[in-house]
Amino acid sequence: MSSHSPGSQEHDNRQPDPILEITDTNVTYTDGESYVLEDASVSIHRDEILGIVGESGSGKSMFASAILDAVPDPGVLTGQLRYNGPDGTVDILGLSDEQLRAFRWEEIAMVFQGAMHSFNPTMKIKTHFTETLQSHDRSVSEGMSFARELLESLYLEPERVLNAYPHELSGGMQQRALIALSMVLNPEVLIMDEPTAALDLLMQRSILSLLHDLQAEYDLTIVFITHDLPLVAGIADRMAIIYAFEFVEIGPRDAIISNAAHPYTRALLQATPNINSPLEAMESIEGQGPAPANVPSGCRFHPRCPVATEECESVDPALEGAESNRHRVACHHVERAREELTVSTDEAGAFSATESTTRPSTDGEPLLELSDLEVHFESSQGLPEGLIGDPDVVRAVDGVSLSIEPQDLVCLLGESGCGKTTLGKAMIGLQEPTGGSITFRGDPLDEHDDARAALQIIHQDPSSALNPNRRIVDILSEPLLHTHPNASIAERRSRITSLLERIGMTPADAYIERYPHQLSGGEQQRVVLSRALLMDPDAVLADEAISAVDVSLRIEIMDLLLELQAEFETSYLFISHDLSNARYITEHAGGRIAVMYLGEIVEIGTAQRLLTDPRHPYTEVLRWATPALGLDTDGDDEPPVREIDVPDPINPPSGCRFHTRCPVARETCVDTSPELRDCADVDGAVACFRSDPDHQYWESEPLDGASERPE
Amino acid sequence: MNYYLRRTIRIPATILGVATLTFGLIRLLPGGPFTQLRIQLRRRGMDAQEINARIEALQNIRPDKSLPEQYIDYLIGVVQLDLGQSISLNKPVIEVIGQALPWTVFIVIVSTLLMFILGVLLGSLQAYWEGTTFDSVGSGLSILFMSIPYYIYAVAFLVVLAFSWRVFPTSAAADRSIEAGFTVAYAVSVLHHAALPIISFTIGGVGSTALSMRGNSIQVLGREFVEVARLRGLSDQRIATRYVAMNAILPMYTGLLLLIGFRLGGTVVLEEIFTYPGLGFYLIEGVNANDYPLMMGCFMVITIALVLAVYVADMTYGLIDPRISVGDADEY
Repeated sequence: MSSHSPGSQEHDNRQPDPILEITDTNVTYTDGESYVLEDASVSIHRDEILGIVGESGSGKSMFASAILDAVPDPGVLTGQLRYNGPDGTVDILGLSDEQLRAFRWEEIAMVFQGAMHSFNPTMKIKTHFTETLQSHDRSVSEGMSFARELLESLYLEPERVLNAYPHELSGGMQQRALIALSMVLNPEVLIMDEPTAALDLLMQRSILSLLHDLQAEYDLTIVFITHDLPLVAGIADRMAIIYAFEFVEIGPRDAIISNAAHPYTRALLQATPNINSPLEAMESIEGQGPAPANVPSGCRFHPRCPVATEECESVDPALEGAESNRHRVACHHVERAREELTVSTDEAGAFSATESTTRPSTDGEPLLELSDLEVHFESSQGLPEGLIGDPDVVRAVDGVSLSIEPQDLVCLLGESGCGKTTLGKAMIGLQEPTGGSITFRGDPLDEHDDARAALQIIHQDPSSALNPNRRIVDILSEPLLHTHPNASIAERRSRITSLLERIGMTPADAYIERYPHQLSGGEQQRVVLSRALLMDPDAVLADEAISAVDVSLRIEIMDLLLELQAEFETSYLFISHDLSNARYITEHAGGRIAVMYLGEIVEIGTAQRLLTDPRHPYTEVLRWATPALGLDTDGDDEPPVREIDVPDPINPPSGCRFHTRCPVARETCVDTSPELRDCADVDGAVACFRSDPDHQYWESEPLDGASERPE
Repeated sequence: MNYYLRRTIRIPATILGVATLTFGLIRLLPGGPFTQLRIQLRRRGMDAQEINARIEALQNIRPDKSLPEQYIDYLIGVVQLDLGQSISLNKPVIEVIGQALPWTVFIVIVSTLLMFILGVLLGSLQAYWEGTTFDSVGSGLSILFMSIPYYIYAVAFLVVLAFSWRVFPTSAAADRSIEAGFTVAYAVSVLHHAALPIISFTIGGVGSTALSMRGNSIQVLGREFVEVARLRGLSDQRIATRYVAMNAILPMYTGLLLLIGFRLGGTVVLEEIFTYPGLGFYLIEGVNANDYPLMMGCFMVITIALVLAVYVADMTYGLIDPRISVGDADEY
């Protein structure tokens, strides 16, 4: 452990000016026996953005609560927390209850992950602002005009948002309103605990870039806590990595990304799917982080560390300077870690390394063929109303044509609410289409008796997809009873055991007697996957199948999906909102990505083509929204959309549906709708007038706020 | 057409259904209408002709008519608020109900509100002091009180407080010697007579309300927005009322209105014990005397009250909880 005070350690040319000095701070439970934050010694510099990265359950949220002395009962907070505010230095742990009440939100405010849960559901947003101002004896009229200014700079309409109840706003709007609420007293420090984790990537990136602006404008210090390393790498000045309740590495962002010293950091960098590094370089980290009750002795990472030695098992390394005192790391073998563990962000030119392995389209008939498929939902109404008024119609899927070959992989990519799940469900016959047709092996899907068994699904949340009252062996026997009705119990059991071993759940004999809640999230998802594959399906719909799994495990699950695809000769429909995951899996399988926007496919093509040569402006926007691990990325670029929020699907925009947000929209796009056409020079298809050089689009005027950008 | 209108149209439909059911069910009871009366009259030595004439005059439905005709007559009567003539009391049923209903409504509303207010207060205190002795003793007593049915309290109070100690009267809604009117003496008398029925109808309910309020509050206290409110520096009082209590009471609100409706029916036994001249009391009278018109009238009124309570709950819930856009209440 570092016994030095961080202030004396961090001297360098830029003369750090710590606004918060956290020294030897611990949070313990059960009478000091289990630590959920141990010996945290960090200083936070004035006006910096400090990114804190850790897996779920690593103690990173506890660190946020500790800064505000708001550790939930019965946790005990000890140590020293000094705040160097404009009115002198404050010892946070020495404050009285009343002083603490005033200190919080005026000096340090906090933004939580679920904005939905941070607002009182029975109060208008406005009341949240006014009551906060009143309880801190601020002028309500001045405070509210500042609030309106904040909301406006966050791309929100102040009056509309203030007069709404929380549930009337979309997730992204709520989160931005919460950020405004946290800043209404103009605090010095903003602590953000996973503020964007529940949001779409595009919204995440947009909020991040807005944060960057706000930080500069209002001289904020931001502590950004997240599990998503590439996300925070885009905006952070310095980064701290937390593992098993301890900080393992702290340093300037560039040093962490390009010259990470701790094996865990290097593994994290390697494990995160991202769009810049070559595919073969991505690897997941074996195992998972420990629970507070059984933290390993010595270096806590040693059971998962590839360079661990005997020393690591007994001696806990101190957090000390690696090169300079600004870059501190807790590892005995920094040199070996850097030599032996490669991180692919070190080199550039990622795409040269990847080969596009597009599978030549099979000559036979397609497995599934959709033509002009429509799924419209009417908002539920009772009998008298349905007879009189026009019901509101949500066009979840509106005219989609797509064909899927045997052993194909198609990834549906889009923001939440774009209809990708509905389309997926319609494709496997779980959702009755309201228009168009689906054929399965040449016949209409609903006339096919085998189709139900041949089309399977993997849900997003494995814990709710498995019956909690049945053992794994019972769960997996179910599909076998269907496919092999004559197999004996012993045969089924041995088939299940060998499959479990195949997917890395060993010893299988121990696993098959367990109940779903006794498995980790990753293991549960493997069981769900096995259950689907044991049906010998022709196609599997994987609906955000890896979103609920911890970041470090996502690659592993995707690899498993890919390996099993070959083995079971199935096609995948992979639904994702994350371009980097979509790219990983489609590029490996040689599939295509179909980008969806408000019920329509706007562009389809190979992952490589979409990344290097996107033809639709929306694809470009998604590309921008995907955090790239690199030194050249910076969070201060403006979001390349004219509107941050997705339009209401009940009343989708006329013409091209993207025209309200499109950065290059012109008059033509308002009333004419482009069709999905095959690209002339590259693979795939795109629905944008810009792909046609002779289109009248080029003659019409750009819309308000859109750029000319001729190409 | 909006939800409110639709919901309002549904009420007459429900009442029609109820009227039909009462009509049918009561006719299915053994004995048939007027058997009792016929026996009584015969005992007095009246001849058959006279009995028939008497019975015909007594009721709004003629027993010699066919069942559908009786039904139509009955429905027309209901619409005209003519529920027939009580056989045993020899008065129009609507008059009997008109006199009895206010007492029952009084007892039910006062006891239900009392139960709700006391329960909410007790429950929120228990939630704030979760795990303390107060909490465990409170929960224990709540469970004890709610598991004893209200008529046990009623009988116990009647025996001890009314008969042995003579602190409270044993019957009637007010002292007959005091003239009814808005006078202090009459009001005191009314409260004095209603005290025991109200208390015995309240105690058990306090326990169950307190337990659900305690549970709801503890859940709300653990919600993130309470934590955020605390970090925002709001006063404890504001958090307790506007954040915790508001969100904890909301799910109980519909329950409260429904409870008022259900408890109207629960007064049958209560009023019988205290000989309190309310709706329930007359219902029992009607049952005992095979007084069909009276029974049907009482059933009708109790059910209409329940239908209206549900209606009010449906209408107002959207106003109270902004998350429920009227019509699709999928939460709670």
